[in-house]
Amino acid sequence: MLAAFFDSIPAMIIATGALVGIAASLVGTFLVLRGSSLLSDAISHSIVLGIVVVWMLTGAQSGPVQLVGAALTGLLTVFLTELLAATGRVKNDAAIGLVFPVLFSIGVLLLNVYARDVHIDQHTVLLGEIGFVWLDTVSLGGYEVPQSLLSMGAMAALNLVFVTLLFKELKLATFDRALAAALGFMPGLLFYALLALTSATAVAAFDAVGAILFIAFVIVPPSAAYLITDRLWLMLLFASLIAVLSSFAGYGAAVLLDVSIGGMMATMTGLFLVLAFLFGPRYGLIAQGLRRRRAALAQAV
Amino acid sequence: MWRANRFGAIRGLAGLGLAATLACGVAVAQERPKAVATVGMIADVGQNVAGTCLDVTALMGPGIDPHLYQASAGDVRTFDRADIILYSGYSLEGQLGEVLAKFESRKPTLAVSPASIPPAELIAAQGVYGIDPHLWMDVRLWAMLAPTIAEAFAEVAPDCGAQMQQNTEAYAAQLGGLHDWIKASVASIPQEQRILVTAHDAFGYYGRAYGIEVIGIQGISTEAEASVADIRNVAQLVVDRDVPAIFVESTINPRTVQAIIDAAREKGHAVTIGGELYSDAMGEPGTAGSTYIGMLFENTRTIVTALGGELAPLPQTLKSWAEQWNVDVAEQ
Repeated sequence: MLAAFFDSIPAMIIATGALVGIAASLVGTFLVLRGSSLLSDAISHSIVLGIVVVWMLTGAQSGPVQLVGAALTGLLTVFLTELLAATGRVKNDAAIGLVFPVLFSIGVLLLNVYARDVHIDQHTVLLGEIGFVWLDTVSLGGYEVPQSLLSMGAMAALNLVFVTLLFKELKLATFDRALAAALGFMPGLLFYALLALTSATAVAAFDAVGAILFIAFVIVPPSAAYLITDRLWLMLLFASLIAVLSSFAGYGAAVLLDVSIGGMMATMTGLFLVLAFLFGPRYGLIAQGLRRRRAALAQAV
Repeated sequence: MWRANRFGAIRGLAGLGLAATLACGVAVAQERPKAVATVGMIADVGQNVAGTCLDVTALMGPGIDPHLYQASAGDVRTFDRADIILYSGYSLEGQLGEVLAKFESRKPTLAVSPASIPPAELIAAQGVYGIDPHLWMDVRLWAMLAPTIAEAFAEVAPDCGAQMQQNTEAYAAQLGGLHDWIKASVASIPQEQRILVTAHDAFGYYGRAYGIEVIGIQGISTEAEASVADIRNVAQLVVDRDVPAIFVESTINPRTVQAIIDAAREKGHAVTIGGELYSDAMGEPGTAGSTYIGMLFENTRTIVTALGGELAPLPQTLKSWAEQWNVDVAEQ
């Protein structure tokens, strides 16, 4: 049974997508609530700098050294963003928008000056293709297990443990930072940990499935969940569920239409967002319309 | 452990019954062995070698930049059903190449460029780090793929060994004729104007093999963008050398090339777009450009005509090819 599972290409693709979705939605929920969901996109750009610098130092065009470099640049992005936001002069999203173009452009400049004739860019290092995760496997307990499935499984588990253990603290820090600080929860440190996890998840996900799918999974399922519920734990749950459903539906649709699997999974998250937007029980367009009509009727009576 | 069709296992998954039926709906009748090549240039050599012995398909279609390739669901299935996989290597396929390198232990998978072409023939790009992967631009080098592929195919289709040996020899003769024809045609361009200005550095081997100077406006990677200084330098060169035409590529945005033309015009020199060259992918199916021979033939025809040369008569060995695709040198 297990062998059949690991041997099935659709199962491996969908499982990897679902794990990326869960890992991304768990951190993404807090990013969306905090107004810094752009961070996932920012990291995907600023890692160009890390890739070029690591190449200049070691000559490696890809491989584990490059992954470490990418993760470090992700952390640098997070650090600089928090530093800027902490001044209180700019908002979170503005701080992100200030930081990543700088890092990205330094990367592009270095690429232009020092690496003109070398084939090096994000794609050679970090553009995984979810359709091909089943090609790259490691032997584990007698099974050929895709490497991406392992790395994304580990990231999803890590994020789940983090969010579960620190749920109360994260909740308080997200909704009432001042109170969290007064109670000694160190919200700043907490967010650094969350953002560091985001950066690590991002690099692992870029390597496994590519940037766009990860960015979609960080932002869209939590946003859709936010339209459905006000409770934090339900939002985390719904976001993860939407991500998993998107993996299944996205794969099915990609097979039907013979198009990019990652692209279709990302499209499906968008579809769920539209559904939540229309049919959400409280904030949905239809629910609001009904409520307004009922209120108008009540007034008329 | 390796089953012919791993999509069968999908049935175990709840909720995907529909996709499963579709994936398995195509009958898996036992036919010829299937070979998959990443790019058309390899697939076409493979098809010429295999003849009717194997089905050879290319993963990346016309106009697709292999550095930026995205797989579709159908591609995944093609890969899974293949009996043998051929890819270029030398980082042409980006990360997919690395994944395929690891896949060798599980299915016959061959990086054809490193397996066929001696290292001394390669053009190194900046020190030891990179190698220019656009080897198909030199027909003599690319022809070396044919025996390698024939050998690899013979293991998948053992009954066909002799047949494929014959095909390989016939194809080698065609490619030999093509090589000499390109050389003679390019040599007819006036010495001063024997200069090929294109968007990216895909033509290094072409220039070396056929004696034409190549100026790539942007670097080897299609990701890098040309800087203002790049454009100014190339425009100056175009003016100084009185270059009549520069070229766009099928897989690359023509904007950079347009910028050169505008810059040269400002300096009072009229340069035209000489035409579109195939660089990283071949032409649409059903056209002569969809074959490897046609790709090199049409590139050469475009270059030689635009730069004021004269095409040499087609060699005897290419007559059948020319008839098949209705190509005539004299007709333009």
